[in-house]
Amino acid sequence: MKVTYNWLKDFVDIQDSPEELAQKLTNAGFEVEEMIYQNAHLHHVKVGKIVKIQKHPDADKLQICQVSLGDENVQIITAATNIFEGAVVPVSLPGADLANGVKIQKSKLRGVESDGMFCSGEELGIDDSFMQGASVNGILILPDDFVLGQNIDKALGLDDVVFDVNITPNRPDCMSVVGIAKEICAIYGKQFKQPSYKYITIGDRASDHLTVERKSNACLRYMAAVIKNVKIAPSPNWLKRRLFAVGIKSINNVVDLTNYVLIEMGQPLHAFDKKMIAGDTIIIRGAHEGEKISVLNHNTYSLSPSDLVIADKQKAMVIAGVIGGTQSCITDATTTVALEAAVFDLKSIRLTSRKIGVRTDSSARYEKGVYFGSAEQGLKRMLSLVCELGIGDIMGGVIDSFDYNPLEKTIECSCKEIYDILGVEIAKDDILRILTGLGINCKINGDTLTAVIPAYREDLQNAYDLAEEIIRIYGYDVYDNITKPLFDKSAVTQGGLDDKTQLERKIKNALVFNGFYEALNYSLCPPDICERLNIQDNRRFMVKIANPIGEEISCLRTTMAHSMLSSLAYNFTVGNKHVNLFEAGRTYSPKSLPLSELPTETNWISMGSTQMDFAEFKACVLAGVDETALKYHLVRSNQGFLHPGISADVVDGNGEIYASFGRIHPLVAKNYDLPKTTLYAEINLDKLIPYKDKTFVVKPISKFPIVERDLAIVVKDEISNADLMAAIKSACGKIFYEVKLFDIYRSADLGEGLKSMAYNIKLSDECKTLTDEEVTEVIGKVLKALKFRYGASLR
Amino acid sequence: MQEKLQQLSIQAKTELNQIADAVALNNFKVKYLGKQGLLTEILRGMRDLPAEQRPVVGALVNQVRQEIEEQIASKQEQFDKIQLEKELAKNYIDITEPAKGHEKGALHPLSQVFELLIDSCVNMGFKVVEGPEVELDYYNFEALNIPKNHPSRDMQDTFFITDNILLRSQTSSVQARTMQVMKPPFKIISPGRVYRNDSDATHSPVFHQMEGLVVDENISMADLKAMLVELMRKTFGEQTQIRFRPSFFPFTEPSVEVDVTCPTCRGSGCRLCKGTGYMELLGAGIVNPKVLEECGIDSKKYRGFAFGFGADRVAMVKNSISDIRSMFRNDIRFLKQMK
Repeated sequence: MKVTYNWLKDFVDIQDSPEELAQKLTNAGFEVEEMIYQNAHLHHVKVGKIVKIQKHPDADKLQICQVSLGDENVQIITAATNIFEGAVVPVSLPGADLANGVKIQKSKLRGVESDGMFCSGEELGIDDSFMQGASVNGILILPDDFVLGQNIDKALGLDDVVFDVNITPNRPDCMSVVGIAKEICAIYGKQFKQPSYKYITIGDRASDHLTVERKSNACLRYMAAVIKNVKIAPSPNWLKRRLFAVGIKSINNVVDLTNYVLIEMGQPLHAFDKKMIAGDTIIIRGAHEGEKISVLNHNTYSLSPSDLVIADKQKAMVIAGVIGGTQSCITDATTTVALEAAVFDLKSIRLTSRKIGVRTDSSARYEKGVYFGSAEQGLKRMLSLVCELGIGDIMGGVIDSFDYNPLEKTIECSCKEIYDILGVEIAKDDILRILTGLGINCKINGDTLTAVIPAYREDLQNAYDLAEEIIRIYGYDVYDNITKPLFDKSAVTQGGLDDKTQLERKIKNALVFNGFYEALNYSLCPPDICERLNIQDNRRFMVKIANPIGEEISCLRTTMAHSMLSSLAYNFTVGNKHVNLFEAGRTYSPKSLPLSELPTETNWISMGSTQMDFAEFKACVLAGVDETALKYHLVRSNQGFLHPGISADVVDGNGEIYASFGRIHPLVAKNYDLPKTTLYAEINLDKLIPYKDKTFVVKPISKFPIVERDLAIVVKDEISNADLMAAIKSACGKIFYEVKLFDIYRSADLGEGLKSMAYNIKLSDECKTLTDEEVTEVIGKVLKALKFRYGASLR
Repeated sequence: MQEKLQQLSIQAKTELNQIADAVALNNFKVKYLGKQGLLTEILRGMRDLPAEQRPVVGALVNQVRQEIEEQIASKQEQFDKIQLEKELAKNYIDITEPAKGHEKGALHPLSQVFELLIDSCVNMGFKVVEGPEVELDYYNFEALNIPKNHPSRDMQDTFFITDNILLRSQTSSVQARTMQVMKPPFKIISPGRVYRNDSDATHSPVFHQMEGLVVDENISMADLKAMLVELMRKTFGEQTQIRFRPSFFPFTEPSVEVDVTCPTCRGSGCRLCKGTGYMELLGAGIVNPKVLEECGIDSKKYRGFAFGFGADRVAMVKNSISDIRSMFRNDIRFLKQMK
């Protein structure tokens, strides 16, 4: 909300500079987000009068002007064509730094010195709505009565400072100059200077000219006044300047005043050309289904019964609280004005404003809440200004239609409660002073604080609200010096990580130690990822956002693969060709679509590598899984995005899948512009949580030596190492200690489709030293078993 | 015989002094002490001595033998040392050659910051609680005193899935869920991912927050201050100060913005803190009693405080990261700097 320093001064004596004031407002909960100095670009610009114009001797298009600045004279060379001898103009002198970025210094134009430049309205940052003639394409011609040599900011009244104040949603009463001025009074302990509500009425009563029928509960109060013999004209300069300062275009005196009161009092007003009100009746009602209205933003909207309109006997004239229609608006031909000051239900205005996508200064206030009494104050302030400017004859007796008048409420609490909430003791005198300054009538009896809350402070409801009012005015800096022992009056509680975080940290650390870097991705994705990933199962059904920013992030991912492959691909395109990444994140699986209940969220750790080979990558994946107590084995994976021959699932005895890893499918590699050798893995963290704690049963170490034998066998290629090792283990029986594959060899000599597998077998007996014969016998059994089950032969 | 022995002793010492390598030393050892050695020869001659002289001469022989052995040992030690030094001088490797196996990777800056924040809170008695990211309107808004169609909804641009299901716009949603199931007193933090319909250099549609909630008897704004000072000092260093500024959140009353000593300039004022010496980092306040009641906690008996902040921002401030989008780009040249 924009207010100006000078405007605030109408209602409160301010001694502090604008900067100090901004700091104090911020400290009291009204953050000044920006300060705009109207004259930031008007220094070194003065009012001058062109005394004499001569042609430049060496340039056809240039003229040499002698300019009087009152005390001194300067020479300006110009190419402007709209100047004349005697014209009063803005003159920018060396040092000026104009709004359009032009910096002025002394210069020579074709050999003749120029002391500066004449300015256009644009160069001063103003247009026609601020001053007639300011929009012309040429030099701004000023009124003759401007004082020569005066700085232009003073001359034009552009010496105010605009504050852009962030009004929090709990303080709709402060969406006005008056509201903020009242806060300033409370901060400084000053008296609020009431605006003038005085006006003179002439002639009949308003109700003789106009009838109001309030037919909807969404209109809480409707007040109207009638002004006859209206003279529509441009606004006086002071009015234009104030509206200009807060960014509102000047239109005519009546419309400008409604806007002025909106900003000053926070009450939206609407002015109708009364002769356009059919049947002289204003009807506040829900729109008819499909009822159309053309409004001032040049659009036509089709409304429904939930939208409130201000209508006459025939048509909707205004979308209530949002925007006025074109038919009944004020024009130069208007002679009788009907003025509206209403209070609407904030939800109704909010819904309509959202639905049609129109936000105005009026709707912005209504949807945050305009309080009941505001209508009366706003209307009377408007009439007082109409009277002051002599715009027309105000009919007596305003029309006022409402159901109930909300009463002031009283909060009673103990001072101790306020101390307990704040944790600091604030003197009772200070409490009384602060609350009174905020317009709250209060007294303290013993320890009981009784506070009568004015109607416009609907946000104040209990002791907590009062505690905040007290401390924000008292100053939160009181806490700067408070050093209180941590939780000294509270129960001791046991802190701790949740199971998921514990396990996630363990696995993440294992991956970091294996050379992986952690990535972070949006959990949002485009709708077509399952096609790109060759996924054909339920993961194709994704949760869609109703109001996405763009299609690329319109769905919730059902797999981690898209994010990881995209990250690898990004790195690949920027030249990072060898990368190991992992990501900890969630997927979101709907139970049904459209969603009727929350989807299942699953925690995963995904991994990707464009650096490792399958075996290295597998070691890293299993290093992660091995952080848990899961007993698992590997089976071939049939994940669509993995290469069917070069991938595996980590499964338990029941075939439950805990992780999948391997080379990505060649089609997927193509879809993501990744090398075919790219590796991807995903570990289902949630499924592993039950296995997060490892326990160990330590067996005593045998006193007798371990015996080793190496064994190389030749088998068909498709026989797996795991099967061979299992067979060796089982054939060794109870003296088995360990088996390791230490070499794989393939050659033409061995024959096509055959491989040699060399194992190191360790045997141990807990009770005795194994003899050579015993060992030889066991190895014989092993060979026999391998031959029988897998057709293996000794190499 | 004794004379002969003494001569032999002197001769041996002279010879030993000239020995310059291990081979010569070994030859020397054989020459004097070997089976056919000079000293052994003398010993053999003892048979011819009278019985009474034998012990005297025998002792002398042993003495000479011992002397020679000691000298040999000392010489041997000398040679061994020289030999070892030679070998050591020869055997060295280029210690700057790359190691085998994988270089260590690194956690994302966000995770590093989360770990720091979470561990600090756990030490103060907070439990970690997570909640769903796809959330009911009720937990994200209504239970937190933000009714439907209320202007305070405008404070956040929310992604909706249906009328009642949305992507949580704040981790505060976990507050209400926790209060419904946990009995006071408790302290919880909830780190996690949140979503807002907003995207530019300083806003990401996906970002991360950490929410804290304490519910107990006798909780005040002063406890909030003490706890946040502790947390911010653990995060940014022991000299860190915080200050409160009034603000508004529907679920806290009073509500404050919390400014923290700018970690970059340590409070002296710099470009990042716009010369103020402070950075706006957290929102906090006393839990609105309406929220306690809505979640089934007796607001006459219990009071709470809550705080929340953007973890991405903390990570960015702590690591001098200027563009939030670089946090999600996963460029390895970015991630490697976190090692």
